[in-house]
This record gives sequence, C-alpha cells and structure tokens, in this order.
Amino acid sequence: MNAAALHISGLSVSYRDLTALREVDLAIPEGQITALIGPSGCGKSSFLHALNRLTDLVPGCRVSGSIRLADGTEVTDPQTDVLALRRRVGIVFQRPNPFPQSIRRNFEIPLKEHGWAKSDIPDRIETVLREVGLWKEISDRLHQNASTLSGGQQQRLCLARALALEPEVILFDEPCSALDPLASGVVEDLILSLREKVTVVIVTHHLAQARRIADHAAVFWTRDGAGTLVEQGPAERVFSSPQDPDAILYLNGARG
Amino acid sequence: MITHPIRRSPSKGLDLAIALAGAFAALLSFFLFGWLVWDLVRLGLPKLSWSFFSGEVEDAGRGGGIAPILVSTLGILACCLGLAIPLGTGCAIWLSEFVRRGSAWARLVASGVDLLAGVPSIVFGLFGMVFFAQTLGLGFSILSGGLTLACMILPLLVRTTLTALESLPADLRPAAAGLGLSKTTTTFRLLLPAALPGIVIGITLGVGRALSETAALLFTSGYSTRMPESFSDSGRALSVHIYDLALNVANGSAMASSSALVLLALILLVNSAAVALSEHWLRRRSSAS
Repeated sequence: MNAAALHISGLSVSYRDLTALREVDLAIPEGQITALIGPSGCGKSSFLHALNRLTDLVPGCRVSGSIRLADGTEVTDPQTDVLALRRRVGIVFQRPNPFPQSIRRNFEIPLKEHGWAKSDIPDRIETVLREVGLWKEISDRLHQNASTLSGGQQQRLCLARALALEPEVILFDEPCSALDPLASGVVEDLILSLREKVTVVIVTHHLAQARRIADHAAVFWTRDGAGTLVEQGPAERVFSSPQDPDAILYLNGARG
Repeated sequence: MITHPIRRSPSKGLDLAIALAGAFAALLSFFLFGWLVWDLVRLGLPKLSWSFFSGEVEDAGRGGGIAPILVSTLGILACCLGLAIPLGTGCAIWLSEFVRRGSAWARLVASGVDLLAGVPSIVFGLFGMVFFAQTLGLGFSILSGGLTLACMILPLLVRTTLTALESLPADLRPAAAGLGLSKTTTTFRLLLPAALPGIVIGITLGVGRALSETAALLFTSGYSTRMPESFSDSGRALSVHIYDLALNVANGSAMASSSALVLLALILLVNSAAVALSEHWLRRRSSAS
C-alpha cells in the first residue's frame, strides 16, 4: 500500500452539544480514491469538511483529534495557515458553485490569491480546462459568466478551479448528486482520471458509484447517537466481505 | 367511482370584487401622481429656460435663476455621499462578514443603526448644527449640511447593503473558503461585486432622501443664495429654496413650482440611471457580456 496522504486519528466533530462524529482513525492512501459511504447523518460530511478546516465556518463547531498531512503538517493545529492548507487540500461541493463572474475570473481570483504570476495564468487555465474536457467546449467564451454554463459544465469548472491550485488532495462532497445521469457519468470518469495524480476522498450516497471508482472504502454508521467509522479497507474487500453487521446490511441494500 | 358532495363552489363574485378594488386603488395612486406632476408642469414649466439654470438668484428668488442653488445642492450631495457610502458599506461589511451573527456587538450596532433610522430629520438638523457647525467649527456650510445628511441616510445604506450581502447565494462563501481565499479577497472580489445592484439601489434611495431633505439643512448649510466658492461656504439646497419661496416670499410660488419641477426631474434622473445600471449588470450576469 502507498504512503498515507492524510493520517487521521481520534477525530471527533461536534456542533455545540451534538456530537456528529466520534473517534475516527483512518489513513487515506496517497494517489488513490477513498470513498466514504453510509446513510445520511452519520458524520461523513463533517469528517470531510474537517479535513480542510471548512468546519471553521460553522459557528459552534468543535474538532478534536489529529489530522496529519504527508509532510507532517497538523491540520487541526490553530497555528496552521488555513488558507495555505485549503490550497493543498481542495474541495468540490455537492452543488456546483462557480462565482457569478466570468469563467476566466473564476480562475484568476484564486490563482492570484495564491501567488501565481499574472503571465502564467492563461496557460494554467488552459491546462486545467483541458484536463476536465471543457477547453474545446468553452475556450471561446472565457469572458462569459460562469453561471451561463450547464450544471455538468459548472461542476467540471469547479473541479478545474480546484485543480488549478495544484492540490495534493481533493475532497468531493457528493459531487454527482445534483447532476443528471449523463453529466454525472462524465464527472465520475474525471474523478477516475485523477487517480495517481492526486489523492481523492469522495463522499457518496451512490453505492454503485463507490463500487466502480473506489480503491479504498470507509463505511460510516451512527452508533450511540454519533457517527463513527465501522468498517474500512480496500474497496474490493469491503464490498465483497464486510465484517461489521450494520455494514453488511447496508452494503447488501437491506438498510440505510 | 367515489363522488364528493359539493359543499360550496369557489366564489367568483369575490374574485371580481377584489380585482375591481385593486384596479381602483391602482388608478387612484396613478391619478394622484399624475395630478402632482401636471400641477408642477402647469405652474413651473413657463418659467423654465436656459437662464433659469444659469442665472443668479434675484429678488429673493422671484426672479433670475437657480444656478447657485444647483451648485450648492450638488456640493451638499457630494459631501453626504462621500461620507455615507464608505461608512455605510464598511459598517454593513463588518456586520455581515466579520462579526458572528447574533453576537452582542453585532446586535448592539445593528439596533443602534435601526434606532438612527427612526430619528426625525429635524433632530438630525439640530444635532448637525451643534456638532458639525459649532463643536467642529465648520459653521453654516455645505460641508456641515452634507455631513448631517450623511448621518441621516447612513441607516438606510447600512440596511440595504446588509440585506444585499445577506441575500447572496449561500454557497458563495464556502466556495471561496474551499479555495483558500482570504476574507479580504472574498469580500472585495466576490461578495461586493455580487451585491452591487442592491448597494446601488440603497444609494439611490439615499440620494432621493438627501435631495428632498429640508429640515436637516435649515440650520446646517444655511440660506445663502450666493454662488458658493468652497465647501465651507454656506449654500442653499434646492429643497430649502422651494420651502423658502413657498413660505416666506410673497409671489414666489411660480418660481417654487419651477424649482420643484427641477428637483423632481433630478430625482427621476438619478432613479432611472440606477435602474439602467442594475439592469445592465443583471443582463451581464445572466448572459454574455
């Protein structure tokens, strides 16, 4: 197995009095696709958002435990530069969320923020738009507002925008659930194409999708009123012979 | 087949009555506005000419033009907006982006601003006279008047800007945070541009209120009808001019109507410019630019 891109131990997330996630230990292998699966409300999204401190945006949210990047950076350390961390650990959300500005500005704003030279930006935009297969479709209308694109195109734009910052890890929060089946397939293929280039952590409700793309799988379940990790391992093993009784029922489609 | 007994058919008569009442109310509102404009045009238009716009005030306003009045009005407006826009936008940004919603500080500032909105303009006038004219030593001047008006329209600007910022799509901020954008970049490159149409509407309303204000200016920018030479000169605003002509000058009502017509045109101009501007932005947002 590859080295771990993210080393998580004893991670708990709570919102005021409510514990959303309790004591999760998980190693996310580098360059592979790790799928987080489980029913709604079992802490998958809280877990994902803790990985690049988006939990900071939620008032009253407390994160404890440890998340270490490959180079030893401690994500949960208050001293850690959050903005630099989020460049290294990017995210694509459930609903496409391009900025309501031109397609070009969608890239220029984050690239400038993270110190790219102005003269390098056009090449960078072309490279990532080619990577997500959008270049041919939209290269002649980069000046247009990004909200004029279709839902699937917008989601690919958001992926390209995250990729532009050369992250080590990309988090996907149910990236296909707001898309039609065709666009969903395109995005799924793109995620597969990222394998070996970046580390992917994806939350999905779509078991068939997880089965198709994941190298590694982690099943979350609610125990004693809080979400926790109940099963994890190579995807093939988790899907073919799960050990946890709840995971067995869930993966067979009998529960959840 | 299951049949349900008919209890009572929906009343078509009531629908008709409501529609008729609505139409009557709409017509009456329009009629009142039309009457007002017609009266101003009938009384004021005959005196309107190029020399009315370019001439000095003569014979206490019965003759001549309103050139110094227009200059003073624009000067007061410039001072007012110059202070109110940065202060109002800054306060709204702070309330919406930098303090936690519902925190003690946010509630204190927000309720202070709302309280300010309910203060009658004559009270602002008295405050302006004591604070700007006397304490700060600015005297009866365009600057005093403009700053007083700025205090008056500040709550309006804060409220509209705050509403514009708070009604932005909820996923904009997480999107920015997920890309590691700083708060400054998020606010100035993303949120403010997106909220601009709402902010402009707030400024337009503020301009409308500032232009039509009399009471707050009486004791701050003064009555002088001379052409002002600087912001520290006293100058008479258009609304004060109308007030004075109508109330204190015998046979001044014709000139008052002409001035009122100019004021109305000015406000309409500002409003339509703002509408055109926000429509232009909306078009650019929804299609190619």
